[in-house]
Amino acid sequence: MSPGFRNALPVMLFLLAGFAAPLIAVTWFSFMPPRTFAFTGTPTLENYETIFQSTSYISFLWSLALAALTVVLLALIAYPVAYGLVRVFGKWSMLATLLFTIPLFVSENIRLYGWVLFLIKNGVMLGTLKTYFGIQAESILFTLPAIVLGMVYVYLPFMLFPMTLGISMVPQDTRDAATDLGASRWQVFREVELPLSLPGIMIGCLLTFVLAVGAIAEAKVLGGQQIIPITHDIEIAFTYSQNWPLGAALSVLLMLVVGALVVLVLRRFDLDVLLGRR
Amino acid sequence: MALAQISRRNFMQQSALWAAAFAGGGMAGMATAQAAREKELNILCWEGYNSAQVLDPFRSSRGATVKAESLTNDPTMINRLRAGETNIWDLINVNNPWARKIMLPEKLIKPLDRAKFEPFFNSMMPEFKAPYKWAMDDSGEQLIGIAQRFGPYSFVVNTDKVSRATAEDQGWNLWNDPANAGKYGILESDDWNVFCLCCIAGFDPFKVHNDEEVAKFTETAKRVFKGAKLVGDIATMNQALVAGEIDFHLTGGTYSASPARADGHPEIRGITPKSGPLAGGKGGIAWIEITSVVNNPQVSPLAEDFLAYVQAPDVAHTVAFAEGTYNPVTQMGNPECFKLFSKEQLDAIQWDSLAEEMARSAEYDIVPDYDKLLDIMTAAKREASGG
Amino acid sequence: MLQKHANLMTDSQPILSLKSVRKMFGPHAAVDTINIDITEGEFFTIVGPSGSGKTTLIRMLAGMDQPTSGDILLRGTRINDLPANKRPTCMVFQSLALFPHRTVGQNIEFPLKIRGEDPAKRKVRALQLMTLLRLPESYYGKNVMKCSGGERQRVALARALAYDPQILFFDEPLSAIDYKLRKTLEKELKDIHRETNKTFIYITHSLEEAMVMSDRIGVMRDGKLVQVGTPHEIYTAPRSRFVSEFVGDVNVIPVTRAGNGRLRMNDSGRELVPPGKAPEFASGHLVVRPEYLRFLKQTSDADNALEGRLYNEYALGSRIQYQVRVGENVFVVEKLRQQPFSGKLDDKVIIGWDANDGILVSE
Repeated sequence: MSPGFRNALPVMLFLLAGFAAPLIAVTWFSFMPPRTFAFTGTPTLENYETIFQSTSYISFLWSLALAALTVVLLALIAYPVAYGLVRVFGKWSMLATLLFTIPLFVSENIRLYGWVLFLIKNGVMLGTLKTYFGIQAESILFTLPAIVLGMVYVYLPFMLFPMTLGISMVPQDTRDAATDLGASRWQVFREVELPLSLPGIMIGCLLTFVLAVGAIAEAKVLGGQQIIPITHDIEIAFTYSQNWPLGAALSVLLMLVVGALVVLVLRRFDLDVLLGRR
Repeated sequence: MALAQISRRNFMQQSALWAAAFAGGGMAGMATAQAAREKELNILCWEGYNSAQVLDPFRSSRGATVKAESLTNDPTMINRLRAGETNIWDLINVNNPWARKIMLPEKLIKPLDRAKFEPFFNSMMPEFKAPYKWAMDDSGEQLIGIAQRFGPYSFVVNTDKVSRATAEDQGWNLWNDPANAGKYGILESDDWNVFCLCCIAGFDPFKVHNDEEVAKFTETAKRVFKGAKLVGDIATMNQALVAGEIDFHLTGGTYSASPARADGHPEIRGITPKSGPLAGGKGGIAWIEITSVVNNPQVSPLAEDFLAYVQAPDVAHTVAFAEGTYNPVTQMGNPECFKLFSKEQLDAIQWDSLAEEMARSAEYDIVPDYDKLLDIMTAAKREASGG
Repeated sequence: MLQKHANLMTDSQPILSLKSVRKMFGPHAAVDTINIDITEGEFFTIVGPSGSGKTTLIRMLAGMDQPTSGDILLRGTRINDLPANKRPTCMVFQSLALFPHRTVGQNIEFPLKIRGEDPAKRKVRALQLMTLLRLPESYYGKNVMKCSGGERQRVALARALAYDPQILFFDEPLSAIDYKLRKTLEKELKDIHRETNKTFIYITHSLEEAMVMSDRIGVMRDGKLVQVGTPHEIYTAPRSRFVSEFVGDVNVIPVTRAGNGRLRMNDSGRELVPPGKAPEFASGHLVVRPEYLRFLKQTSDADNALEGRLYNEYALGSRIQYQVRVGENVFVVEKLRQQPFSGKLDDKVIIGWDANDGILVSE
């Protein structure tokens, strides 16, 4: 046993216990007979069969679609914001970005209920419109736009942070050099700033996508459960249905789908290549 | 570049270390739960019993460490015991049928000292006089729990939009009127949602259902979820009712409407239909909580102590108005306890109609083919997604 | 000195003129009233210590900064407000500022791509430039960050040349390169200058580097140009102690003119014979380069002689440097390696120089 291995052993055991073990447990559980609670049953594929025969694909598609939509909107919203932050605050822009993370100290549910009060009929927004401007508008609460609004709001910091980092990492000299070589502002952006900040954009997109696929509260609170994402299905399986093996099987499938998508994207865009390191 | 310093591997290591630390911490917590049971009490309950108002006087008078975990679903609590947590919990507080029909036969709970606890039932409201069915085992020999909170639970309307009389007369058919699509919400409470859907479909939930009924249930579940403006928790329902987003919501009663009523919205009212498909033509369903002692090999001596403690008039009143939701308690049959309730409090729990509503309600029971119906309902809910 | 550029000698219009160019940062003048004319085809180097304002100056010339006052004229046209991307000039940055996400070819072709040139033509031009800069053709598709330091220098220069600028600016591109490679690249750069016949304006903090490459050198200090001249003029006739010391180790003797026309050393009061042309000098420094100092047998062997003790010796490649202590002062004497001094440490020695080898500077 090499000294390196010996030294790494405690950490490896820690990793095993803290990271691998729960994953293995969930995976194993997904092969237990439906509605059982022990690890000792005879392994079966029944849960997976149930899922493939059911309409669970609707929830999967909703989760993926909502996450994809959120990522696209966030990229469009966060990039200009990050760009502005870097331009205005320069090397302090990361600090400025931290301000956007302050809301994270308040529980997500409380923030979402705040949005409910804002969006609800006769609430902050519609009430004000009605009282002061006489405008009677339909509430978007408990609809798809409300869910997307909530997700964009909740995951903004997770997109903004890597993006700001990405943009602030673009060396000023390369901008100057491109301008000096005749590039217009737009050409500098397209040829230099955008490609050089791509790692930040990619990390932001991956991070928010993975987080957003796991979103549940937005659809429940702002969407009034009008849309059932896969996470909600998993929650139902583990709570009301008390069908832990089914919930475990849904979890395993979700991990596989998300994992495959992430690997696919990372294959397509090698971060090291983007960073020009290899 | 700064980004290179946070490599993927590095990040994973960090995350795993934290995860392991949390896991380790959790296990350490479990270990301490084993020792020193004399001064320790663990309660698995519906919300209310876990409030500081109820627990703090007990903690200070006994010098005890009391831990209470609240869940909002009976099967979850029972499955916790089934999964081996009988050596953690001392008391379990669930709805009426579970103790008698499931937990005692499965030896998850143990009988109480009948001589010591039966007298408490005699100061309760008349319906709960000993021997009270849900507090006894099948043979009627053993006392297996104590009744305290209860209430009718069918649906809730905003009486400014739909009058109480109309709602009581129309009953479950409110959900069979296509004109009402988009006007109602559904309070998420999956077992209760199953009961309500059965009632809307026109048959008794608490029996085995034939294929025709299952088909009717499937159709009803799809239709009702499709027509729902929203599905959510109690706070969301009350907010949506008050704001006018919805006019009424499925599944609810004093338990869910009382916070809004206590908050100055008497128009929000739990309704028990005058008639319905339940046994004896009853229109609604009511629940009664039974608190039992868990069959813990090292059960805390404080478990029975706590059961007696909550019988005291002032504590019973506190339990009725613990944080969250407000509910009638059986001890209101005792004048010493009843006088503690103010007019506003009685109004919040719809005391004016409580007796007649209970009389029109069947008691909560176990649906024999619940799993099947729940799966159908879950699928219906999912398929209504985005609709 | 070779005279390569015929037009250096003509008095045609300068390609670049600076008229009283000033750049203020708050109350501080980073560049202070600079006047200079650069001749077409010239290799002009601005040399100065860090903080002397040379980077600010070159950024204004390249269009990345605007002067607070004064004019910059390109062939007689005022270009103060012309943005960098509109100027027919190009800069090689200290960091090189290569585009790390692009190949060698893409980097070189960048200005052509911006100009919307046809890809096939771009490639032809890129390969031409690569040949000129001795970059193998196989490097065309290589990621630029995989290239060595010297190769990157060449890519950066090729990219700038691809822009086909009328003037090329260099912002200390060799400062981060090790000595040996730097020496090679200095010479290469001079060769490229000869090949392309373009005007090069180069800034550096190393006068040695400036000497190797430049046609003319401007020495900057505290935002001002303190002297402009050919490398020979700067070396042999520095106008200030600052310039003289910039060239390397020199012996600087504080002196005052005595009544008899001679110079008096401020510390010892000793009298020295001044250089022949010492017109209205009153007080300042007498500068004597170490290679002009000799060891003497007797004090009468040179116009000026001082007695001291040999303190130490240092081998400097082709030369050997000796330190001699005269009173409190230290003098530096250099001899060729082939003709070493045979004294021993702590020996009493006499050092001296001919009057005309000294340079009088008033500052």
